[in-house]
Amino acid sequence: MKKVWNFLRSMRFGLLLLGLIAVCSVIGTVIPQEREIGWYAQTYRAFHGAILLLRFHRIFTSWYFVALLGLLCLNLTLCSVLRIVRVVRTAGGESERAARLPDSTALTPEGVEALREHLLRLRCRREKIGGSEVYTRNGFGRYGSFLTHLAILLTLVFGALALYTPTVTDRSCMPGEAISLPDGTEIRVQDFRINDETGRLDYTSHVQLTLPDGRRSGLSELKVNHPFRFGPYKLFQQSFGTAGSVTVENLENGGHDDFLLEEMSYLTIDERNGIIYEQLYPDYIRDPDGEVTLITVTEGAYRNPIYAFEVLADGVRTPSLAVPGDSLEVLGLRFTFNEPVEYPGLRIKHVSTLFNALLVAAFTLMIAGLYVTFFFDPVVVKLDAEGYAVGGPKPERMRVELGALFAEYERGGEKL
Amino acid sequence: MKALFFITFAVYGLSVALEFTGTAFKKDKLLRAAWISFLAAFALHTVFFVARGVAAKRLPLSNQFEFATAFAWGVALFAIVVCTRAKADWLKVAAMPAALLIMTYAALQPMEIRDLMPALRSAWFGVHIGSAVLAYASFVLAGCIGARYLRFARRPEPDKKALEQMDYMSYRMVSFGFLFLTVVILSGAIWAEQAWSSFWSWDPKEVWALITWIIYAVYLHLRLRGKHTGVKMAWFLVIAVFVVFFTFAGVNTLMHGMHTYG
Repeated sequence: MKKVWNFLRSMRFGLLLLGLIAVCSVIGTVIPQEREIGWYAQTYRAFHGAILLLRFHRIFTSWYFVALLGLLCLNLTLCSVLRIVRVVRTAGGESERAARLPDSTALTPEGVEALREHLLRLRCRREKIGGSEVYTRNGFGRYGSFLTHLAILLTLVFGALALYTPTVTDRSCMPGEAISLPDGTEIRVQDFRINDETGRLDYTSHVQLTLPDGRRSGLSELKVNHPFRFGPYKLFQQSFGTAGSVTVENLENGGHDDFLLEEMSYLTIDERNGIIYEQLYPDYIRDPDGEVTLITVTEGAYRNPIYAFEVLADGVRTPSLAVPGDSLEVLGLRFTFNEPVEYPGLRIKHVSTLFNALLVAAFTLMIAGLYVTFFFDPVVVKLDAEGYAVGGPKPERMRVELGALFAEYERGGEKL
Repeated sequence: MKALFFITFAVYGLSVALEFTGTAFKKDKLLRAAWISFLAAFALHTVFFVARGVAAKRLPLSNQFEFATAFAWGVALFAIVVCTRAKADWLKVAAMPAALLIMTYAALQPMEIRDLMPALRSAWFGVHIGSAVLAYASFVLAGCIGARYLRFARRPEPDKKALEQMDYMSYRMVSFGFLFLTVVILSGAIWAEQAWSSFWSWDPKEVWALITWIIYAVYLHLRLRGKHTGVKMAWFLVIAVFVVFFTFAGVNTLMHGMHTYG
């Protein structure tokens, strides 16, 4: 039992877990994740059975990957407790232990004086123990490793909470319209634009959010990298679309209606006369003979939009094209093609501010912990009349620095 | 602008050629000339980097060309700092070709200045990508030190003090790089939450940054245990550089993800 316990809290186990997580991560990037099952069957043929069985297609949510992360949390908890107990226990008598160290390097009396000056210049704390002077530096550095490991543990815990507790909904909304959520929250989109005045891609909308209790936000700007937060909701600019816009006018009674068209639509009264809207293209090229080539791909807003539709006259379909501003009449109905309407796709997230804040705090702690670990090496130097010795939890830097100091003196013809 | 880049590239090439010739024929004058031309290349590189930033009206770090140029600049900077401060002349023969190699990769990328796409217009842009430059450059330099360690350790009577210094220097470079790689990952997570609504998406670039982080975490722990020092750790650092290059260039070339910006 003790052997298992020791293994669970050991660095070896931690490194083994990190290695396995890395291997799973490599697999997760080599095999595309979260695709349709059929895609794996088509792509990997004979191997697809093994891939599905081992859950390589959803490796980051597989039971064994989650188990590895869980075990890593356990290992971090145990080794952090062990580490802090050990650090606190050993911190007390460090100077006394250093005072008992045998000299590793002999010095002349001038050398002793030069080293003393050097250590005081480094702002080391000086104590006199027995016949020796003990210089300590960066005592706080001994907690760096503990802080880092604690921060990694907190990052894993709060990261899981921040990633998996929010509810996420993706919805698109036409400008001037509103989205209602099941809890009664309403999100109104005032306007949306894909490009700004200079033509640069922008994806900006103005939104207003009303919570079920009646609290209402001001009209706020929402764009990529600038989510909008109100109450428990956070809105993100996620995607965008462009819809066709057609006004249908009844020439007999003067009545009219506007339609926003995102997919194939029938605009008829009797199902025999009218138009069948097919698609809106972002651009086209018309050659000298009048032949039109439709362009399907564009970046940003539709610069030269063109409507593709069929005229339905007494059940006979005739393919046709129209640009914004065009209109046509079919059996007492006038169809006018307007400028397309750009609309945003919003990601609506119900988030916990607390988890996000705790996660960012864990991030900050990790950076601080690493900084302390790497740049505050706790060290103790014992100096007596004959020489010196370097000890403490991280003596390497001081040894190398003092070694370099020696070399410099030797180069200058002066020996310490 | 292009001309300045290729002049810089050529001067780096000249410095490497002089360094190799000087090392092969043991000519101090050639080695001095190599170092001077390397410093000149770095100065030109800095001018190019600033000019590109002024022309683009932003930090020039938005695509593979700009990042590779910055990466090479970082390697050159660290090489100059380490060689000057620690009087580590033995590092030059490894660090100079490393900078040239990365510049070669940059030269093969499309160089035109493009507008930043909306997802990149963020205050985190400089922190996230600037930290990546520093982290990768540190790891490459640690790999260079590792390579030199292996060469020195093969000598019939290796200078133990020099090897100890190399081992320690490579550790310092890794610790510096590790800190900055952590900044890359964490600042990236905060930025991703703002831009893509999630701190982590298991995107290939994110995952490979994590793999790189794990590899160097393993290095730091193995070194801490004290059982693995010297040659084994030097090999570790040399091999780990390939992972850094894969994370930097391989992922963007071979895998499709949210970090595919060009």
